[in-house]
Amino acid sequence: MKIFLAIVVLLAVCSSAFGTQCNVNPVNIPKQWITMTHGCRSSVRQQIQMEVSASIQYLAMGAHFSRDSVNRPGFAKLFFDASSEEREHAMKLIEYLLMRGELTTNVTSLITIRPPERKHWASGVDALEDALKMETEVTKAIKNVIIKCESDRDGQGHENNDYHLVDYLTGDFLEEQYKGQRDLAGKASTLKKMMERHSSLGEFIFDKKLLGMDI
Amino acid sequence: MKAVYAIACLLALSAVSADVCYNEVSMECGRATSSLALPSCNAVYGNFGRQGNVANELQAYANLHLRRSYEYLLSAAYYNNYQTNRDGFHKLFKKLSDEAWAKTVEIIQHVTKRGGTMDFRSRSSLETEARESTLELQELESLAHALDTQKEMAERAFFIHQEATRNNHKTHDPEIAQYLEEEFIEDQAKTVRDLAGHTSDLKQFITANEGKDLSLALYLFDEYLQKVV
Ligand SMILES: [Fe+2]
Ligand SMILES: [Fe+2]
Repeated sequence: MKIFLAIVVLLAVCSSAFGTQCNVNPVNIPKQWITMTHGCRSSVRQQIQMEVSASIQYLAMGAHFSRDSVNRPGFAKLFFDASSEEREHAMKLIEYLLMRGELTTNVTSLITIRPPERKHWASGVDALEDALKMETEVTKAIKNVIIKCESDRDGQGHENNDYHLVDYLTGDFLEEQYKGQRDLAGKASTLKKMMERHSSLGEFIFDKKLLGMDI
Repeated sequence: MKAVYAIACLLALSAVSADVCYNEVSMECGRATSSLALPSCNAVYGNFGRQGNVANELQAYANLHLRRSYEYLLSAAYYNNYQTNRDGFHKLFKKLSDEAWAKTVEIIQHVTKRGGTMDFRSRSSLETEARESTLELQELESLAHALDTQKEMAERAFFIHQEATRNNHKTHDPEIAQYLEEEFIEDQAKTVRDLAGHTSDLKQFITANEGKDLSLALYLFDEYLQKVV
């Protein structure tokens, strides 16, 4: 029985690699144009997972602020939007890998869904500061991807600088990180100032501002 | 004196059992402390989150959508690599991913709308141990996988609907039933039907002309998907 199962599994695995009556044989075309190095590729893959984890963490923040006992729809909207943005970051990095001839194999293992680490925040300030901390970690991770891809070694052991990816990460991703961090820091400061004198009213008003409401 | 008044009010109101929040307010406001607990002043009503498992099933439904959304995203990626290079299949899976993602957020919002708390670890009572499977599938296999998973989601909606509507006072919840009908069940029927239709077409192309049409059929079908998805 076990052997039979093994054969079925083997058949299933092989059917993708070779032609069957349902698919075309894979063709061979030159591969010299695929130049991403191993270390650089795996650090980008890790970054994709990190963006996905961030998207789930923001989902948890959106869920928390949507609760009846918390009732902060503005914060919930901010974090649900942030969640979708993180998903888009993951998609952008995936598209980049595809452009460079990657992701012909090991696609399934690229993303793992894990429950969020944190699910409770004491206040809006707490959540904004937590988000800022998370973004700071993401920024640091992107810088590490840049460092890796700037001086990796190719299959022959030669030094390799992936100029284009480094430029893309530096120009597009880091810029968005810094802008996002500045935005969160500004919001946290304003809210904290409002909270100092009028703690519950301060958060209430700030939440409605986040919704775009004038009160 | 205040306490006596509060108790008197409470006694007068206890005849109406539904006024629990009001009663708590009356009680607590009458006390000299500066804290209000009011545990009954929440959005929970009906059986949601109390005895039945409708609340848990709805959370598990959000988690299922979240997982599927990222799986479809990977399938979309796979069909966009230079070897597979099937733009239509890419588009089909990207759309499934976007839809599942939007639904994830919507279900979470609905859980909280009914006074619940979202638990990202919730699993459905229908769920069996998830088996490891590859998403790197060839064309017909990938359509089959999309069809199976979409049916699973549609049937899950039926299951929660059944829990919410079966003649059982412990789980009866018409609001959830109505929500599922309006936001899920109708669209799911169309998605399942479309995928089944695609599978039938592709099956015919593959077997036609003793399989000699295969590579051109796959190419043309992909072009077709780019137009219709
Ligand atoms: Fe990000
Ligand atoms: Fe971010």
